[in-house]
Amino acid sequence: MLAEIFAVLIFVTMFGFIVWDRFPKHYVTLGCGALTSIFVFGIGMHSVKAFVDTIAVGGIFKKDFWYAASEASEQTSGVNWATIIFLWGMMIMVEGMAEAGFFDWLCLKIAKLAHYEPVRIFVAFMVLSSVLAMFIDSITVILFLAAVTIRLARTLKFNPVPVIMAEIFCANLGGSATMCGDPPNIIIGTSLGYSFSDFVLNTGAIGAVSLVIIIIYFYFTMRNRLQDPADKVDSSTIDVEIRIDNMKEFLTSTIIFLIAVALLVTHAMTGLTVAFIGVFIAAITLITAGRKAITLLKRVDYPTLLFFIGLFIVVGGLEQTGILEIIAEFIAKVSGGNAFVMIAIILWVSAIASAFIDNIPFSATMIPVIRTLAATTGVDLSTMAWTLAIGTDIGGSMTPIGASANVVGISTAGKEGYPISWGTYCKELVPGTIIVLVVSMISIYIRYL
Amino acid sequence: MGQFIISVGREYGSGGHEIASILSERFNIPMYDRNMLDQMAEKNGIDSEELHKHEEMKHQGLHRTVRGHSSSVQDTIAQLQFDFIREKAASGESFVVVGRCAENVLRDNPALISIFVRGDEAAKTERICRLYKLNKLEAKAKMFRHDKKRKAYHNYYSKMKWGDSRGYDFCVNSSLMGVEATAEALYKMISEFLKSKEK
Repeated sequence: MLAEIFAVLIFVTMFGFIVWDRFPKHYVTLGCGALTSIFVFGIGMHSVKAFVDTIAVGGIFKKDFWYAASEASEQTSGVNWATIIFLWGMMIMVEGMAEAGFFDWLCLKIAKLAHYEPVRIFVAFMVLSSVLAMFIDSITVILFLAAVTIRLARTLKFNPVPVIMAEIFCANLGGSATMCGDPPNIIIGTSLGYSFSDFVLNTGAIGAVSLVIIIIYFYFTMRNRLQDPADKVDSSTIDVEIRIDNMKEFLTSTIIFLIAVALLVTHAMTGLTVAFIGVFIAAITLITAGRKAITLLKRVDYPTLLFFIGLFIVVGGLEQTGILEIIAEFIAKVSGGNAFVMIAIILWVSAIASAFIDNIPFSATMIPVIRTLAATTGVDLSTMAWTLAIGTDIGGSMTPIGASANVVGISTAGKEGYPISWGTYCKELVPGTIIVLVVSMISIYIRYL
Repeated sequence: MGQFIISVGREYGSGGHEIASILSERFNIPMYDRNMLDQMAEKNGIDSEELHKHEEMKHQGLHRTVRGHSSSVQDTIAQLQFDFIREKAASGESFVVVGRCAENVLRDNPALISIFVRGDEAAKTERICRLYKLNKLEAKAKMFRHDKKRKAYHNYYSKMKWGDSRGYDFCVNSSLMGVEATAEALYKMISEFLKSKEK
């Protein structure tokens, strides 16, 4: 009983500190991870095995961590090293692409193809945001897209705020479509053994339908606020420089990106795990970067990776003490074993929780819960996994603090003198989020139940 | 005369802003206060009030930080103003700056002369009543509200506490001699200091 109390107390404290946002998040999770190791595994459980299982370092040295020839690899509990290693690799690749000017070039090229017409740019950037976020972390996508949007807005005299908000929404939506699009998906995929194509065929299909609907919705609700007709600029007078400083670096980073996409799309067939893909992509990026390799390594967002390690230990404490099974039993009881109710609970609770708290700890906590639910109620695990992924990824769009992309987009706009308050943000994106969640719920009901 | 920057922190109703304004006139240098944001608002074609309503304020409600980016409008506007102050200082310009944690932002800048203006409660209340046509009760409530907000904002972004004499070069009570005489005394002291610095 003592271990359970410690586990819950530490978990709640961790969440409280994350929401408070006073201290760096990785200090909070690592500190709470250390407390979990001492109080839950040590004092509460007297179990070295529980600690070793949670740290799960041993798994890295097994062959199936890197190559799972027979079936998709699955990690049952503890620190999800596959997620951490994959994210590390992708961060290095993205830094290489940013260094080569890939994102600026792509955004400006698309603006040119849209003939520098604000409404066309608005629609094109929504699609671009979604597509890029399928493969690259949404923070990077929004960082570049929002900066280019503001640059174009000043030249073309349009209001960048609705465009940036639509980009944020579409980045979160695009992230839900693939296994590597959003951290919760990587955690879900590696923990439950789903492949990249599993995500594309399920969350990706729902995301595609939602994207079409949301583009139509944003088009009709925002187009009139984009530009005053009096401010219209003749596109033939626009001279935006689209320049690549180092063509060799640019081509190399583009090829590496395409290799990463190809490896991810085919990883269920090749048997290469995401951990392997992460290390491989990082290795070729660093080798081809030459002298810049050290700079790329230094730019990796290590605090986020440390945040993950601490988080997995704390969630491991809940899992080892059986707390998550109690939550699963509660959901099963409330829903009366009805799959429709259970899916609705998972979707809406995930969405609302993700709107206010970080969706990464939430999804990491919920994975063992849905696994238990599947075992005890007989509802298909994959259906609940897709529901969880959509709920956490899309729900994050609802508030300025729901997802990392929102924070970065709002901050980028604010730094350029376009403040986006809670009121402005929620007025634009809460209805859109609800529309997509309803569409997703109906899609899940029709397709899986 | 070389570059000098005068930062004026102030209690609400103490006349700190007026003192800053007099110093700016006497030294014939620009003064930056809430006008910092006007330029940016004009450039972006937005209502400057949109920016002003979030300035000199600690973040409110739920917010989140990701890789140094904050979701809080107040944080973003505070940083915008800090960057503005830093840029102006780096350009070599001499100026007076009111509030905005300027003495903290420029704490390592040798050109900085920092002032904090306080006042007696009665004198401040009387001044607020006169300027805003309020009764004493309303004036006091306004004063406490503004000072609480300024203190929270300052202490959140600065190393030293708001009004702590260790954080400023000059701390002065404007109620002793009145706003204008205080400004004059400060002008003389700063002029003396600048002369001695040049020697």
